[in-house]
Amino acid sequence: MTDAALSTTTIAPRTDTGEPSVSPWKRALLYALLLAVSFLMLYPLLWMVASSFKPDSEIFTSTGLVPADLTVDAYRRGWSGLSIGFGWMFFNSLVISLLVVIGNLFSCSMAAYAFTRLRFKGRGFWFTLMLGTLMMPQHAVLIPQYVMFLKLGWVNSILPLVVPKFLAIDAFFIFLMVQFFRGIPRELDEAAIMDGCGPLRIFLKVILPLSTPVLATAAVFSFIWTWDDFFAPLIYLNDIEKYTAQLGLRTFVDSTGTSDWGSLFAMSTLTVLPVFILFILFQRLLIEGIATTGMKR
Amino acid sequence: MSTLRTTERPAAGGRFRFGDSLAGYGFLAPWLVGFFLLTLGPAIASFYLSLTDYSGLGAANWVGAENYVRIATDDPRFWTAMNVTFTFVLLSVPLKLIFALAVAVALNRGLAGLSFFRAIFYLPSLVGGSVAVAVLWRQVFAGDGLLNQALNALFGFEGPSWISNPSTSLYTLVLLAVWQFGSSMIIFLAGLRQIPQDMYEAASIDGASKARQFLKITLPLLTPVIFFNAVILTIDAFKAFTSAFVISDGTGGPIDSTLFYTLYLYQEAFTNFRFGYASALAWVLVLIIAFFTAMSFLTARFWVHYDD
Amino acid sequence: MTTLALNKIKKSFGNLDIIRGVDLAIGSGEFVVFVGPSGCGKSTLLRMIAGLEPISGGELSIGGERMNERAASERGIAMVFQSYALYPHMSVYKNMSFGLETAKMPKPEIDKRVRKAADILQITHLLERKPKQLSGGQRQRVAIGRAIVRDPKIFLFDEPLSNLDAELRVQTRVEIAKLHKDIGATMIYVTHDQVEAMTLADRIVVLRAGVIEQHGTPLEIYNRPANRFVAGFIGSPKMNFLDVVASDVRDDGVSIDLAGRKARLPIEARVVDGAKLSLGLRPEHIGTDETGGLDLGALTVVHVEHLGGQTVVYGRLVDGQSLTVALDGQRAISAGSTLAVRIAAENCHLFDEAGDRIGK
Ligand SMILES: Nc1ncnc2c1ncn2[C@@H]1O[C@H](COP(=O)(O)OP(=O)(O)OP(=O)(O)O)[C@@H](O)[C@H]1O
Ligand SMILES: [Mg+2]
Repeated sequence: MTDAALSTTTIAPRTDTGEPSVSPWKRALLYALLLAVSFLMLYPLLWMVASSFKPDSEIFTSTGLVPADLTVDAYRRGWSGLSIGFGWMFFNSLVISLLVVIGNLFSCSMAAYAFTRLRFKGRGFWFTLMLGTLMMPQHAVLIPQYVMFLKLGWVNSILPLVVPKFLAIDAFFIFLMVQFFRGIPRELDEAAIMDGCGPLRIFLKVILPLSTPVLATAAVFSFIWTWDDFFAPLIYLNDIEKYTAQLGLRTFVDSTGTSDWGSLFAMSTLTVLPVFILFILFQRLLIEGIATTGMKR
Repeated sequence: MSTLRTTERPAAGGRFRFGDSLAGYGFLAPWLVGFFLLTLGPAIASFYLSLTDYSGLGAANWVGAENYVRIATDDPRFWTAMNVTFTFVLLSVPLKLIFALAVAVALNRGLAGLSFFRAIFYLPSLVGGSVAVAVLWRQVFAGDGLLNQALNALFGFEGPSWISNPSTSLYTLVLLAVWQFGSSMIIFLAGLRQIPQDMYEAASIDGASKARQFLKITLPLLTPVIFFNAVILTIDAFKAFTSAFVISDGTGGPIDSTLFYTLYLYQEAFTNFRFGYASALAWVLVLIIAFFTAMSFLTARFWVHYDD
Repeated sequence: MTTLALNKIKKSFGNLDIIRGVDLAIGSGEFVVFVGPSGCGKSTLLRMIAGLEPISGGELSIGGERMNERAASERGIAMVFQSYALYPHMSVYKNMSFGLETAKMPKPEIDKRVRKAADILQITHLLERKPKQLSGGQRQRVAIGRAIVRDPKIFLFDEPLSNLDAELRVQTRVEIAKLHKDIGATMIYVTHDQVEAMTLADRIVVLRAGVIEQHGTPLEIYNRPANRFVAGFIGSPKMNFLDVVASDVRDDGVSIDLAGRKARLPIEARVVDGAKLSLGLRPEHIGTDETGGLDLGALTVVHVEHLGGQTVVYGRLVDGQSLTVALDGQRAISAGSTLAVRIAAENCHLFDEAGDRIGK
């Protein structure tokens, strides 16, 4: 019972047919259609990757996926195409994303634990407010936040991007963890209470170790969303040496205009690469995370 | 057992409380600080700023409702932005929903390779918000971009530059949004999985056709999920920013044809440093989103089917 | 000597009174079983003793010391949960040592205790496994082991066997009885199962709707149920209750009128002539061969269950009241036939209209 209650909702392919079974011909047709649509959908991405290995002249003449002339020239040009190397911006992105992951895991799991496991006056009230912030667009608080960070002297540093995450500002992750924590049998907490544990020890020794799936999901989503984030770095980071990869790429578009698509594609491919790797590694977690919470960005 | 019982509170008379308030507020402290300092405080401040002419420097002079009056009566770019944004929302949300539902239903037929297709369709949602994809879109729909090359090769058709043509540029962004139907599709798939099999069995014994089964069983039982997706997608669509910013070089061009509301807001706040006015714009957006959310919940009871 | 005393213990959830004043003193080394219908508050009472649920009113003391405000771990109590509540991410060893580590006990001492408990429960070969890799019965042992290592004064069990199959249940029941004998700690045990209650308990506490209906040794409860509820709750098949009218009430007994048939019971009944009473008869006390005692008349057999060792007959008396009879051994009785049934006078119980026992 305990184990069943702990596993997240699985949406593994089901073996029985969904609606009453489809005839072989229709099935073949369906497959063909799905394959065609997925190919069409992926084509631009594949083409971007392929083009990053093509010489510039070929990009505008070939719609194919196989470069006639494989070259990494575009990568070489792109990597040092700005006054600051792309490597540095990748490093900035990595630091920010990792700090955000830590912040989110730390603060959101604490809040979710308080909401699901501790009894205190006003819990229902705060929980409702938390759910309210889930729907609230960031724009309502954007400008005063900016002014506040400006007054604190934090603008043009990574602090505005990172510190809020240590204050559980991403209600989505609290919600995700609340959903998961609710599935952990309360008797485990009680057994731990009998074993002399206080709230902190229960949290650290029982709840968190049992929550690795949701923590991993939150970590991967945090990382990807932060890595891809454009808006916050755009308004908070001014100096090019503080830029994230996304900002760098955007600046690169400005500086090359549309003259050097090859290196643009090369750098684009590189910025998407970490996300793609995480996607390959944690596909199941990501998809289940979306399916169980029914939320996304 | 593990559901959150908000009614359960320490019983009267028992001084000994388990996970007492101290621990509760201890664990909630980071969130509480964040809530007051980064959400509630700024929300109030932003409303106050919207009634001033604050520019980031100097004092914030009280101007009353002037900003709002100007938005309503004397700001053609506001109306352009509204027009662009509403067109984008009203096109992208239904299209996304239809695609997501159609693909989910197709995938739910017990096909082998479900997880393969699911992953492929989901990938664009995961990377779609990035600058890289916006860059790619810029190329694909450029005059000499991938699309026109393909059209030329296949049909000998010389396409225009879709991006720099004001009458088509917005539609490339709609397409980009629809391309990211994957996460809605996953939610639909999860929803479809909740529909009990015996409903279909009973229906096919009754001789209901596939189409009828879809209309009479699948669709009604899926309405809560459709509703949920529609609300989330609408809110998301109002907040769209990055793609328009990158594709139009931050201008919302050509000739404001992709001037998303958020883009206009950004320009007023961070290019023109009209913090007061931008705050008013922000509040208008919040109200629009709140209105849409409220409307969806109000209309929900007429078409959303919940089990009892 | 009393280890645990409940004094007017009360519990309410919001304005719902769940436990409504429970007084009970439990002696050192006693095995006490709480029984009662579902929802009567057995678990709640146990959890208040454990320290998992705040006490709304009254006093709980252990070893003469007030415990209401003490943390669960400071009460010298261990609890075995119905669902075992083993930590899924810890090995069996770790499950048992966790509480001791929390109490900062030295490592060698922990190891000694864990190995000793594992030895008693014969789970030494499982120590490195995770709970997932154990059978239900093995998990149950680990849960008990986790309680044993803490060397508590009092063990609490909340329906510990209800998730086991019938055979394991019997086996584990015997082991728990043996464990009690070996370590001599006080045990409080909640169950639905009468056999468990009768076989394990030094004392049974029957609860209903948050109050104690009766407590006493299993045989006291069986032989002298304090009211109709207890009488019906303990014993299987359930006690029969027949409507009778009292007459000729004297100090040495009372006559009852059962479907026109008069009989005299040597029960000191303080009731008026003509009072409507309930006559309680245990199915296993009713016989067909007896000569003495109370003549219940002819029983028209409606249904028969042949259990092998016992034959259970369901039937109707001449006045239409239904009666269940449990006869020893295998009897050639079939539905539709009639039996002459009798019962010894000392096996008759009388209850007044309020359901309370009449007489000794
Ligand atoms: N946290 C709670 N909030 C409100 N009511 C509760 C709570 N816990 C228990 N109750 C109520 O208290 C009553 C007693 O519950 P309890 O679990 O003690 O019953 P029980 O005798 O153990 O039953 P069972 O034999 O089914 O386990 C029930 O009516 C239950 O609904
Ligand atoms: Mg119970």
